[in-house]
Amino acid sequence: MYDHQNKHNSQPRYTPLKTLEVFKAVNRSFPHTDEINHIHDQGGKVFGWLCTYVPEEILHAAGILPVRITGYDRETDLDDGNAYLYMNNCSFSRSCLQMGLTKEYAFLDGVVGGSTCDGARRLFDLWRQYIGTPFHHVLTVPRKYTENAHSLYLAEVEMFKTHLEDHLEIKITDEELMGSIELYNQTRSLLRELYNHRKKPNPPISGSEVMEVLDACFRMPKESFNHHLKKLLQELDGSQNAYSGRARLMLSGSVLANPDFISSIEQQGGLVVADELCTSTRYWGDMVEVQPGEPPLKALARRYLNNYPCARMFPSEERFRRIIETAREFKVDGVISEIIRYCVPYSHDLPLLTKRLADINIPVLSIDLEYGSSGSGQIATRVQAFLEMIEAKK
Amino acid sequence: MLSIGIDIGSLTTKTVVLNNGRFLASVVSETLDEAEISAQVAMTKALERIDADEDPLRFVVTTGAGAKGVSFSDRSKAITTCLARGIAYCVPEARAVIDIGAESSTVVKTNERGKVLDWANHDKCAAGTGIFLQQMAKLMKLSFEEMSELSETASKGADITGTCAVFAESEVISHVHRVPPTPMPEIILGIYLSVSSRIKTMCKRIGANEKIALSGGVALHKGLVRTLEKEIGQPLFVPDDPVCVAALGAAVLAGEEIQKETAQ
Amino acid sequence: MKKAANNKIQSIVRACRIILRMIEADPNTRHSQKMYYRMLLQYYTRLRDARENGQFIAAHTVFFPAEILLAMDIIPMHTETTTWMTSLFTGECGDILAAGARLGMATEICAPHRGMAGAFASGALPRPDVMVWSNMVCDNTAKSGELVMDICGCPGFFIDRPFKDSGLEKTYMAGEIRDMIAFLEDKSGKKMDYDRLSTIVERMDRQIELTRQVNELRKNVPTPFSPLGFLELLTIDYLFPGQPESIEYLETLKAELEEMVKQKKGAIPKERFRLMTLFIPPMYLMSFLEKLSVESGAVSVIEPFFTFWGEGRLDASRPVEAVVEKAYMIPETRMYGPLGESALEAIKKCAREWKVDGAVYYADVGCRHSCATIKLFKDALAEVDVPVLTIDCDVVDQTVTSEEEVRDKMERFFELLEDR
Repeated sequence: MYDHQNKHNSQPRYTPLKTLEVFKAVNRSFPHTDEINHIHDQGGKVFGWLCTYVPEEILHAAGILPVRITGYDRETDLDDGNAYLYMNNCSFSRSCLQMGLTKEYAFLDGVVGGSTCDGARRLFDLWRQYIGTPFHHVLTVPRKYTENAHSLYLAEVEMFKTHLEDHLEIKITDEELMGSIELYNQTRSLLRELYNHRKKPNPPISGSEVMEVLDACFRMPKESFNHHLKKLLQELDGSQNAYSGRARLMLSGSVLANPDFISSIEQQGGLVVADELCTSTRYWGDMVEVQPGEPPLKALARRYLNNYPCARMFPSEERFRRIIETAREFKVDGVISEIIRYCVPYSHDLPLLTKRLADINIPVLSIDLEYGSSGSGQIATRVQAFLEMIEAKK
Repeated sequence: MLSIGIDIGSLTTKTVVLNNGRFLASVVSETLDEAEISAQVAMTKALERIDADEDPLRFVVTTGAGAKGVSFSDRSKAITTCLARGIAYCVPEARAVIDIGAESSTVVKTNERGKVLDWANHDKCAAGTGIFLQQMAKLMKLSFEEMSELSETASKGADITGTCAVFAESEVISHVHRVPPTPMPEIILGIYLSVSSRIKTMCKRIGANEKIALSGGVALHKGLVRTLEKEIGQPLFVPDDPVCVAALGAAVLAGEEIQKETAQ
Repeated sequence: MKKAANNKIQSIVRACRIILRMIEADPNTRHSQKMYYRMLLQYYTRLRDARENGQFIAAHTVFFPAEILLAMDIIPMHTETTTWMTSLFTGECGDILAAGARLGMATEICAPHRGMAGAFASGALPRPDVMVWSNMVCDNTAKSGELVMDICGCPGFFIDRPFKDSGLEKTYMAGEIRDMIAFLEDKSGKKMDYDRLSTIVERMDRQIELTRQVNELRKNVPTPFSPLGFLELLTIDYLFPGQPESIEYLETLKAELEEMVKQKKGAIPKERFRLMTLFIPPMYLMSFLEKLSVESGAVSVIEPFFTFWGEGRLDASRPVEAVVEKAYMIPETRMYGPLGESALEAIKKCAREWKVDGAVYYADVGCRHSCATIKLFKDALAEVDVPVLTIDCDVVDQTVTSEEEVRDKMERFFELLEDR
């Protein structure tokens, strides 16, 4: 009989990745990291952004450190969030709002979001009203990819840039934007390299470890993140680590930032090698491509609207197409759909996505959870059954 | 004239007798199948406790489940109104009262005259109620006192985040059966924290931020009160007889009705 | 008699007939209310027979500009209204929701949209020729169309309504509507009749104006309009936007209310509490709520998100732009854009001008974007000294709350108001 326990436990060549500790340290101490403290000591500004439809490069070009608002990194009681957003808004928005209400985001000099979903827009309505962050901006984000949608979004991005310039009393030049785009593109290609390692039959880095890297990516200046990520990649090149598992899995669905959740799947013997999460592939997946002679803002707007889509976009088939592409690229055996309760866009997509994946013989395990979940006994049992089902098919 | 307040709860029926605002007696008796009989028994017991030469005329206000159907009741009032008046009588400085009953929990925000400004209640689910605590005590084979004592030694409390009693219960069970099991004190504190969190949300929803009193039998559950105080971040007023606050309020309302009638 | 189709539209038709027969026999019924039920009967009879009559059916979501469909002689099917009417009049709400769940729809998806998918999948609703929808007013309306297209095997078009109200955004939406007209012309073989659209827009403008006048009359003490009458105002905009029937209904209603005001008569025998209604009461509790209103003397006098239209007029000479303008004037769209001072001011203004004693918020468990405003609205209304009652419920799912629970909460609230 196939003894997965044994197999899973027999990963003798595993040596801890040194650079990973740098990222983990950032995640542990955020927002009180040395870098953020330093920026504030120097009179610099830190802005929070909420959603992958916010062009981060503009903030960077304005000399601001953009950090992502991700709420609590664990499942916790959300009484403030519940009182203001009611129980039936997703726990991600409640988690973020609660941190805002309890002054844990008081270090932010501004917040920027997009009109992406009900949870996000209400979070901002309440943030504006009850949390005194000095700068707010919500971009209208069209739900389509049409030419008109692109013109509207470009105009919105321009307005955001002007608002920011007026607020800071500065001008953001095209050269500065180009510089930021280049830096962020470098982050994207480095992350692509990291993900290439995951395509291997026995990746040298686990899914939960990759999540640590990504979380740090939202919390560090990209300059130093890139530096450390390069070092991590060097380490991986020489690493003898080789993860194996019962099946290659891809994560799909709502915002997810807790590495422990991925760990809980990996502990069952699932090899998490790919995802389409907004904290991951949907964040870095596409490059900003500036055509010769084109204003950088235009390229930026095009990339952000055309990016690996969130379930809010129409038509959903575009998201399904990209998911299938990723699943094939990373040779996954199954998809774990994790949807935060009350996350309506993903819930609506699930029946159709399951159908599309079934057509190419990829089974879907659907899990509903609260944001920040680190996995539960019940989830573990279901993952186990899912892995057994995949093994039986092989 | 005597003003009598009767609060028919799902487990016990509480009666308070006042005369012109002066406290005469209070009694807690078991709630029987019918509200009428529960109220009758409770009132008889209360009247047995007062001097025979007190005024034989009475005005009765009932509240709670089936309060409207009691034949000898002169008025029935909502539990929220009663809690507000009751707390204003026994803890005049309070501006809110948290009532944790057997089957529901309620937070009432009041003004200085004991009038309801707003309220929130949780009655869809047993989580955050007396029954839930009782179930948990039974599950762990402990008395309320033992739970209270054990909780004192806990450090941070086990994670129990289920938003519903059934889920919370299964979380507790999984803590008990975990290898190694979560220490009992941590589980108990976790239970207290989950109840407190629900109450805290209700307080926040209606803006009950300060001068909060506690009523209902659960107020005698010391460990929970301690946790709740810590969570809410301030000491809570616990009246001498937290169980009878609503009945007291009903008696106060009976007094008001008597005054209204004499004025007419 | 026509052969009954497999779908459940016939049961709505039957129910409307029964109600109509009942109220027509009652001499006390408002004439406008009879007209209202005749309109419902007409709408559903037309929908029931559309297939047989070879007409083109477009299913559309709530707040979708049905004016466009009517101008093109396409039969509209308002999906949310039709779903809840079906579930209400057939008593098969549970089955419809279960059919939605079988498709893999999470219970967090609001019952009207879960039910809608279930109703199409189980054949309770007729198969449309096209599905058209928009993101007005929430993620559910944005996302429900594609699944319906898949279930029914029909083409569809989604109108992207931008978040804010800048000129650029309105131009974008006008472009969306033009693209949809082209789509409909292609699929239905019918041409858009712009003159007809202009006429509809002109009437829509009149309809809004009449609704404002009706609301003015509701400011009187006692208020002349029945406790839940506002649902009629809402439904006629859903089903008959800019149609002669709506104008006739509103003119009749207005005359009736004027007469009552002249006679100083209230809609209910003894008006004690003037309420503001926030969000939609459970449909299955309507007759109970009506009864409770009469018993307790509580009457809804204003609904900032249903009947209190935004400022502005519709310009019939630019009908497509006017349809966009309307999308920004619809009372509920106040909840769609950035919810700031203007929406909060509108609520406070309603409270003051309609002399509101208390507000009732029907917190629909499935409706995230509305429940997330409870705290905001409560705080705003506290500034004008109006307490708010929150009732957890579901618009269609009867398992969420019961008559007794609602009665208990309402009575407590009335006691609070009286005690003040």
